[in-house]
Amino acid sequence: MTRGKGRRPRDGPFVNRWALLAIPPIGFLVAFFLVPLIVVSLRSVTDFPKPTGDVLANYGRFFASAANLRVLGNTFWVAALSTVVCLALGYPYAYLMNLVRPRVAGLLLIAVLLPFWSSLLVRTYAWQVILRDTGIINTFLLDARVIDEPIPLIRTTLGVMLGMSQILLPFMVLPIYAVMRRIDPEYTRAAANLGAPPFAAFRRVFLPLSLPGVLAGSLLVFVLALGFYITPALLGSPKDTMISQFIASAVQQRLDWGIGATMAVILMGLTLAVLFIASRFIRLRDVYGSIEES
Amino acid sequence: MTSWRRHSPLVAAAVFLVAACGGGASSAPTAAPPESTAPESAAPTTAPVADICTSPPMAEGTTLTFVSYGGAYQEAQRKGWLEPYAALTGVTFQESEDSSNATIKAQVEAGQVTWDIVDVGNDFGLDAQADLLEPLDYTKIPKDEILEGFAGTYRVADITYGVVLGYNTEKTAGQVPEGWADFFDTTKFPGKRGFWDYSSGGIFEFALLADGVAPADLYPLDLARATAKLDTIKDDIVFWSSGAESQDLLGKGEVAMAMIWNGRAYSAKNIDNKPVEIQWNQQIVTADYFVVPKGTPNKDAAMDFIGWASCKENNAAPSKYIPYGPTNKLATADPSKVAELSVSNINDTTAYFDDAWVVENAQLLEDAYQEWKTR
Repeated sequence: MTRGKGRRPRDGPFVNRWALLAIPPIGFLVAFFLVPLIVVSLRSVTDFPKPTGDVLANYGRFFASAANLRVLGNTFWVAALSTVVCLALGYPYAYLMNLVRPRVAGLLLIAVLLPFWSSLLVRTYAWQVILRDTGIINTFLLDARVIDEPIPLIRTTLGVMLGMSQILLPFMVLPIYAVMRRIDPEYTRAAANLGAPPFAAFRRVFLPLSLPGVLAGSLLVFVLALGFYITPALLGSPKDTMISQFIASAVQQRLDWGIGATMAVILMGLTLAVLFIASRFIRLRDVYGSIEES
Repeated sequence: MTSWRRHSPLVAAAVFLVAACGGGASSAPTAAPPESTAPESAAPTTAPVADICTSPPMAEGTTLTFVSYGGAYQEAQRKGWLEPYAALTGVTFQESEDSSNATIKAQVEAGQVTWDIVDVGNDFGLDAQADLLEPLDYTKIPKDEILEGFAGTYRVADITYGVVLGYNTEKTAGQVPEGWADFFDTTKFPGKRGFWDYSSGGIFEFALLADGVAPADLYPLDLARATAKLDTIKDDIVFWSSGAESQDLLGKGEVAMAMIWNGRAYSAKNIDNKPVEIQWNQQIVTADYFVVPKGTPNKDAAMDFIGWASCKENNAAPSKYIPYGPTNKLATADPSKVAELSVSNINDTTAYFDDAWVVENAQLLEDAYQEWKTR
């Protein structure tokens, strides 16, 4: 850890002159992130398509529509599902990366990062080409006479999961891998010495130690997934509509910035609520802390 | 229509400039002094409209920002209008390919207007957006020559196009759908159906036409009736959100029939060489419009350009490159494209959007649409 000349009060934060370096970035964030966020959020109580005295008119409008609530619920459902899918795929992948030689781990890392280097839209359209009724998979199976009718792969939740998990997997794998790397293999060996079978050693020693990474990755994937709308729109059915799609349509097509801001505020509020609830059960410090120790 | 991209890729066979207008007019009677400001639309000596059409005011040093939807659509506008106009008047055009109603609103509200002439869809430019736009100068624009209903206080149509029923002849096995009733008949014409994923794009209108409503009786839209009709094929609907996607879906045969813009169907057939045909019955003829954002410093020069582009000599120039129609009744479209134009295929079954009603009820439409769609 850095050794500055500052005082280190017991049980307190570590502050010294170097902390002043944080002021420009914080100032930047306040000016270009926090302030615009507040300005836009205020639009939800000031922008109305027709003048009205009711300050909460937009909120009233939002909650009055069953479709809005349905889609809001679906947004969280799809985000949760994506998190679970990414976890199911990402944890074994990170474990594998941890197990193999560094060079192979490097290759595995590149493989999972590769999607980052192409456009999200291109990737999503590529999935369309693969999954649709006249796409690669179906054409192949039809030509091989394995099936008579195209399998519905696109416009299903399966399609959405494939698209979203490909994009979000790096966000799950990297934090988990970062934590796994720092787990001393001596611990699992000690457990084996004491008589634990391999799986028990994994379950009772390795897994709990890797939990901070799992939580960090899950939180990241969940929050990111909440904001997705292009991928579900192109690969999913109307039932997979996400709230961001509504926000985009309100802002760009109907120029109704009031309701757009309202939906954004509601989404943000619910996300913060999720984080708050999560913080009751997990120490968020662990999530950040997974990167701290050296 | 909306602020979605809609460009129709097309082979520009000949890159000949339109020679309709008098070439290289170097000294117009009302030539302005060579300053950087646009010439005043002050009292001309002859009829203003005729003057503008053949020799628009010189404007050396003026830069006009022209905004449209990019792709081959804007390419056709560039070749048909921008380049000839620049050669005539000395104006420099700066282009943007990201036309968006939201950007106009943002610019005007911030007081920083940089766009001069914007091509927008049929859902913009109405009285509802009066505070965002400059009223058009109809002393320069030949209003009487524009098709009925396509010239408004704040907007004038620059191209017409049709929202049509496109079908894949392989998927329909040679049968020809006669209209929207056949579109909703999945027994006679099995296969999926494509619809634009937009509540104000025509989906309700087409459902009503399929259900037997006459074009004149479409508005106010009977949404309950329309959604009931849509429910009959709901599981077979594939929603597209961009012109390119619609062209692809229909061309590949992912859908047997689709609601599609005529330029896109044309491209699927003639450029992609796919078995796609258009059923012109019960098409909706609509247009894209030129608007001028409020507060732009180059207002007069923008009005000059719009006036020039609306004249019968110049209006049809882009039709040389894309099958999108002129809006001036007296303009003659390029012979190679005339048959493909929406306006050439108008008959008794043709319908039109009631733009004012649609914009006024945008929220209602959106709510009903999403309610039906996400059920």
